[in-house]
Amino acid sequence: MTNLSTRRVVITGMGAISPLGVGAGTLWQGLREARSGIGPLRHEDAGRLRVKIAAQVPASFDPAANIDERTLPLLDRTSEFALHAAREAIAESGLDFSQGDLGLRTAVIVGTGVGGETTQDEQSRRLYADNAQRAHPLTIVRLMTNASASQISIAWGLRGPTFAVASACASANHAIIQAVQMIRYGLADAAISGGTEACLTYGALRAWEAMRVLADDTCRPFSANRRGLVLGEGAGIFVLESLEHAQARGAVILAELAGSGMTADATDIVMPSAVGAAAAMTQALADAGLAPQDVDYINAHGTGTAANDATESKAIRLAFGPHADRLAVSSTKSMHGHALGASGALELVAVIGALRDGVVPPTANLDKADPACDLDYVPNVARSMPVRAALSNSFAFGGLNAVLALKRAP
Amino acid sequence: MNDATQQEVFEIIARQAKIDVAAVKPESTLKDLGIASLEAIELIFDIEEHFNITFPDQQGANFDSDTASSLVEAVQKALDDKAAGEGNHG
Repeated sequence: MTNLSTRRVVITGMGAISPLGVGAGTLWQGLREARSGIGPLRHEDAGRLRVKIAAQVPASFDPAANIDERTLPLLDRTSEFALHAAREAIAESGLDFSQGDLGLRTAVIVGTGVGGETTQDEQSRRLYADNAQRAHPLTIVRLMTNASASQISIAWGLRGPTFAVASACASANHAIIQAVQMIRYGLADAAISGGTEACLTYGALRAWEAMRVLADDTCRPFSANRRGLVLGEGAGIFVLESLEHAQARGAVILAELAGSGMTADATDIVMPSAVGAAAAMTQALADAGLAPQDVDYINAHGTGTAANDATESKAIRLAFGPHADRLAVSSTKSMHGHALGASGALELVAVIGALRDGVVPPTANLDKADPACDLDYVPNVARSMPVRAALSNSFAFGGLNAVLALKRAP
Repeated sequence: MNDATQQEVFEIIARQAKIDVAAVKPESTLKDLGIASLEAIELIFDIEEHFNITFPDQQGANFDSDTASSLVEAVQKALDDKAAGEGNHG
């Protein structure tokens, strides 16, 4: 796109907390095996909610593990997820931020759709339902949208550009793209980036019910009998570095984050546009120096709603032309659900797995072909095939599109 | 079909579509009346609130092809179900 871009960006660590369990490896292994993280909704108000299923982080997740007891009271569930995922990613990268000026040269950019929703809900209940006289004094520090980014910064002494990015279901991808640009243009040498979400509160679930986009059986992306999305939660956090920085220290490189595309539909606040989505994919290809035929896999946004899946299929055809028929396209939301502002991060774990292992994760629950969805969606069973380069799509309410382009480690 | 129920549903539709209630015909689809997806969801909410009922989740959530009379029928069914439920408890 521009001559300014001189530095290549690579991923050297990843971590995840997801409905499939603790750890990026657990998530990837589960997706390969078509395991579902979707189950009956665990919620104190489940009895009076219409929504009966969700993709929740297992109850066995222990927030207190590896987080010191003075930090724990400061954390909303979003920050607990983010800190655990960041710890895993940083450990894998092997980076020591106390060396030289690396702490100052590391950015922290974390996407989240709504931030500390659990905290907001708890305190609203206290005030409006229980008529409490005062809110908990740590309410603000827990719920602020930037809390996850700030907690990661504090935990590892990261003093570079640090902030949150919010773009609903595209938050993680938008955040990761900001981190890539920081490294490309020399504002940072490394970045901790990804997305986190934990918003399965009574109020938020009621709001989603009212939109009438939730499936009552399971998530069936691209299937003619799809009935909507299944809400999820979790976090995916990555360590990004300039290629030269990673090579100089002999780091294991997981994949290259080769390019990105961002567009807005500028049409409707909820109905997606194939033109806007296709433009973001085309931009990502150009930015990464990829021709359509260089790409083997697309991790689709694939929510399982009537509107998204047909529109996204059309958008892929617009962006890829005849090569669309030779692409493997899958929606891993069929297994990890829709973690909203974290979804792009969970899906990046799947893309990295596909590039490294030569295995494309399937679209689960796809059992009835839809004429409006006419691509190869890798139904129900993972496929072994070489994956040279891949795209990861995220499209948000508000008409916001953010696409990542990845290549195998150089 | 209860005429009063029909009149009330048509009035709510007219308010959402910002048209005269006389322009709402039983066979009019929401699309005909210019009610797009998000407005249709809002209309469903207004009707649920007005009658204190809950519509079941609709498969595929495509309200564009719903007619005014099918909405009246759905309201009537929900009201009947509610009355039956209350009778059982009484």
